[in-house]
Amino acid sequence: MNVSFNSLQYFLFLPVVYLVFYFAKDRVRWLVLLTASLLFYAALNAPYLLVVLLLVVITTYGFGICLGRARTPRAKLFLLWGGIAVNVLILVLLKYLPFLSENLKALSAFLSIHAQIQPVKVLVAIGVSFYVFQAISYLIDIYLETLKPERHLGYFALYMAFFPKLLQGPIERAGNLLPQLKVKYAFNYDNMRFGMLLFVWGLFKKAVIADRLGLFVDAVYNHAQDFTGLPLLWATYAYAFQVYMDFSGYTDMALGSALLFNIRLTQNFNSPYLATSVTDFWRRWHISFSSWILDYIFMPLQAQWRSGRHWGTAAALLVTFFVSGIWHGASWGFVIWGSLHGLYMACSVFYKPYQKKWHKALGLEKTWFLKVWQIFVTFNLLCLAFIFCRASDVRQAVYIISNLLSGAQGSQSGVGWLQGGPDLLVEVAMPLIFLAVASFCISRFKTVFQNNTLCRWFVYFFLVYGIVFLGVCHGEKFIYYQF
Amino acid sequence: MISARLKKVILKELKLKDFDFQDTTRAFQVPGWDSLSHTLVLLAVEKEYEVHFKTSEILRLRNLGDLQVLVDKKIMNQNTA
Repeated sequence: MNVSFNSLQYFLFLPVVYLVFYFAKDRVRWLVLLTASLLFYAALNAPYLLVVLLLVVITTYGFGICLGRARTPRAKLFLLWGGIAVNVLILVLLKYLPFLSENLKALSAFLSIHAQIQPVKVLVAIGVSFYVFQAISYLIDIYLETLKPERHLGYFALYMAFFPKLLQGPIERAGNLLPQLKVKYAFNYDNMRFGMLLFVWGLFKKAVIADRLGLFVDAVYNHAQDFTGLPLLWATYAYAFQVYMDFSGYTDMALGSALLFNIRLTQNFNSPYLATSVTDFWRRWHISFSSWILDYIFMPLQAQWRSGRHWGTAAALLVTFFVSGIWHGASWGFVIWGSLHGLYMACSVFYKPYQKKWHKALGLEKTWFLKVWQIFVTFNLLCLAFIFCRASDVRQAVYIISNLLSGAQGSQSGVGWLQGGPDLLVEVAMPLIFLAVASFCISRFKTVFQNNTLCRWFVYFFLVYGIVFLGVCHGEKFIYYQF
Repeated sequence: MISARLKKVILKELKLKDFDFQDTTRAFQVPGWDSLSHTLVLLAVEKEYEVHFKTSEILRLRNLGDLQVLVDKKIMNQNTA
């Protein structure tokens, strides 16, 4: 069954869960949400996923309790690494075995070693990467004594499985979500209204902008060898906006769903394509994930390697973003994508001090021109890396990069392609126009309810009209499901 | 309270003229103190006081007050050793 946020089933599921939650007694409300979350996950038609979730919940809960009780530093360290190892093992077994087996096979063939390596079936692993990371952060926080272990298994299970953030995050810290789950529910009209609007807003981003851009991106990327020049460039730019709208649309729908229950999840985005550097981009993109890798991978490595000064920091960045790439997907494309981001930032560690001096010497510091230039360069660096995420394999990515700026050579190249007519206008220009209007609305979003009724209803009408008449209604999957 | 000595080391490392450091001040509130310069500041503090912080001690730091407490603890341990 399809229970994704943009499916009819979810449009029925959410109000039913809310009504049961609303009429339930306070002491069982957590049970209503937990049952709904487990049913939601079970509906993915992969029964083993529910077992995996319960396994992660029970082992992490157990390790958390033991960590809290451990007295000696040695015992604490043993329990921490034990808990992390179990979680990482579950993730590897479920998500990375096919990739490992495939590469081991290729390596043995390359070295002419006759090893019998059986191909491993790819399993559906929706959500696993997200809740495994959540479990690891929970254990580390207990180890660092910034969090007390949760004793109530029910609340802990709900923290791990809460359905609005189960499949694609945000990756919530226990310190943020657990206390909210225990607050007595009281109907809040503003939360209800804002939550519903946020949900519709997310749906609009997904169905009208992301999926419409996706039609164009797929048309080019699925037959990349037929194209050269401008189509490849535009499709790459369009993909950058598709991913952003897809994922931020999902996040808005998750935040909106949670708000109905008076729960505020972490905001994941802050105008990422206005970033003036790749480091700045990671402060604005998938914030719950970037703060996770910053706190639990980068900072420990950086602290450990601090005697290497800039070299230590650069090495920590390379390792952190290599892991980030692997986390995003079990393929070389994602590994290269993550490593490129690591490389961008590792280089910036060395040139940043000089960069500041040059800007000062040239009188460019704090000028609008410099800011626009930095945004432009950063966006293009991001797009270059995105090619490895979207291309079917590394070979195709290399073809696209080497033909991005080439002239009219392919069967569908630059100028001829631009004369493609109305189809092109519908597929590329319209989503971007909507994006511009939507961006304007986003900037007004927080104050929309303080505006006059006419303005409010205009926004409602705009969103519903967009979804009904311009949305791509094939129940397209969210891109981040694969992670 | 943040000692004048600790304040001086941090200001020097971040190339700041002055800043009103409080116990509750967090790194991101100080100009130039980002995740990249974080270890350089800690290295400067270690060098100034001739102490060594464990990785777990660094990860537990939430604000400047915590850093001051950690430095004081390290100095006390050195004196009693």
